[in-house]
Amino acid sequence: MEPRMYAYRCTACGKLFHPARAVCRECGGREFEAVPLEGEGTLLTYTRVYALPEGYMKPWLGFGIVEFPNGVRVSGQLNAEDLAVGMKVRATVGVVKEGVGRDYYGFIFEKAAQV
Amino acid sequence: MRKVGIAGVGHTKFGRSEVPLVDMLALAALEALDDAGIRTGKGHGVDQVFVASMGAGLLNRQSSVASALVDTLNLQPAMAETVENGPASGASAVKLGYMGIASGMCDVALVVGGELMRVVTGWEATDFVATMLHPDAEYAYGLTLPAFAGMFTRLYMDKYGVTEKDLAMVAVKNHEHAMHNPVAHIQLVPSFHAIIEDEDAPVINPYVAEPLRVYDVCPVSDGAAAVVLCAMDLADRFPKKPVRIAGIGQATDTHVVAEREVPTDLLAVRLAAQRAYAMAGLKPEDIDVAELHDAFTILEIAISEEAGLFPRGEGHLAVRRGETRVGGRIPINTSGGLKAKGHPLGATGVSQIVELVRQLRGEAGGRQVEGARHGLAVNFGGFGNNVVATILSKEE
Ligand SMILES: [Zn+2]
Repeated sequence: MEPRMYAYRCTACGKLFHPARAVCRECGGREFEAVPLEGEGTLLTYTRVYALPEGYMKPWLGFGIVEFPNGVRVSGQLNAEDLAVGMKVRATVGVVKEGVGRDYYGFIFEKAAQV
Repeated sequence: MRKVGIAGVGHTKFGRSEVPLVDMLALAALEALDDAGIRTGKGHGVDQVFVASMGAGLLNRQSSVASALVDTLNLQPAMAETVENGPASGASAVKLGYMGIASGMCDVALVVGGELMRVVTGWEATDFVATMLHPDAEYAYGLTLPAFAGMFTRLYMDKYGVTEKDLAMVAVKNHEHAMHNPVAHIQLVPSFHAIIEDEDAPVINPYVAEPLRVYDVCPVSDGAAAVVLCAMDLADRFPKKPVRIAGIGQATDTHVVAEREVPTDLLAVRLAAQRAYAMAGLKPEDIDVAELHDAFTILEIAISEEAGLFPRGEGHLAVRRGETRVGGRIPINTSGGLKAKGHPLGATGVSQIVELVRQLRGEAGGRQVEGARHGLAVNFGGFGNNVVATILSKEE
């Protein structure tokens, strides 16, 4: 099954968080429900990193911060060229790091289809 | 509360250590004890030892470093703790020393910060530093501190008109300052033309995390720094007049960088500085010299604004006008900063304090800021999620 990524909505006040927290920053609530985070978002900023940490074999990786229409902002990998602040990107979920015995899944953003 | 001062300072040459971690810490500690006129051996009078280290466990496979340092210096039965607060460990340890004395629990405290980083490759060091990020939402992606600094720089450039040349000016200034600081790691001034204007600049000074280049990023260094703190009511015991710790402020911000409401704000810096000014009864205009956490050149500019030294969005204009160099209106990172002096994580916050003490005592040689009375240090942990600001004042 395709892994999904989630935001966590405070059941008391509706504030959304990613990643999950024990306590809501807004109202102090402690119960949350998972809401899928997917689709298109806006690229707020980005970088291409050439000095990757131990464990990555690639010469460089793109990273960005993306805002979803529901206001949730997340960091993720960026698999796209000709980037610009404010452009639309589409969230995919893939292996962001290969680990021993387990892979780590997370957001890999791609350029949204041209309208 | 009792007033607290700094009676002695010590600092190893940053760069590559020839000796193991605890021996390196001991070198800085002994210099500080000597500077404070404290005789080692029985009756030493040191009540409490704090050691700041971010990576002893992960890099050197050693825990309880403070106990080990007490042993090699034979400071028993002094109280001792190791302090870990990421790259702000050093200033946190100074804060705890201050609290120990101000509370009346002890009279004299030795605070030592140190890191032995060059035992691992650059890739491993980058990975180790990234362990302070959020484990799932950041670290697991391969995100690093340079990655966040690069994304922050792009936003800052778009919003305030900061250019790559402005950043290179910060780097060259700090390397020039370091030439007058014998304990700085890098004793070489890069040519501004070569690193930013020359057609070969992309080769000489390639991108590390766009738009940040090699010369925008601090080196990986070994090193240790130490201060002896004392109650000001005991100042007469020490050969040099102690420099007073006038204010300390600390604040946290969201761990997850993407969640910050205004991504170009460093709220924890602003709050920490405001708290330190309030405690000291001083304003940003009173500061004569500042050591700001320039792990990346952009941070020197952003922190200088959040600490109130310049209006928002104008820090880079002050750099262009030469206001932040020695001889300018408000010299920043006279020690060379993290950029040129080096950034042994746990040492950095203590090293900043050592530099301010030397400035306020008038012992800073070729980088001396004439007539300096108040100094500000900002030690930045995480990507700005845990920040400590410290203000020192010269006692008249
Ligand atoms: Zn809530």
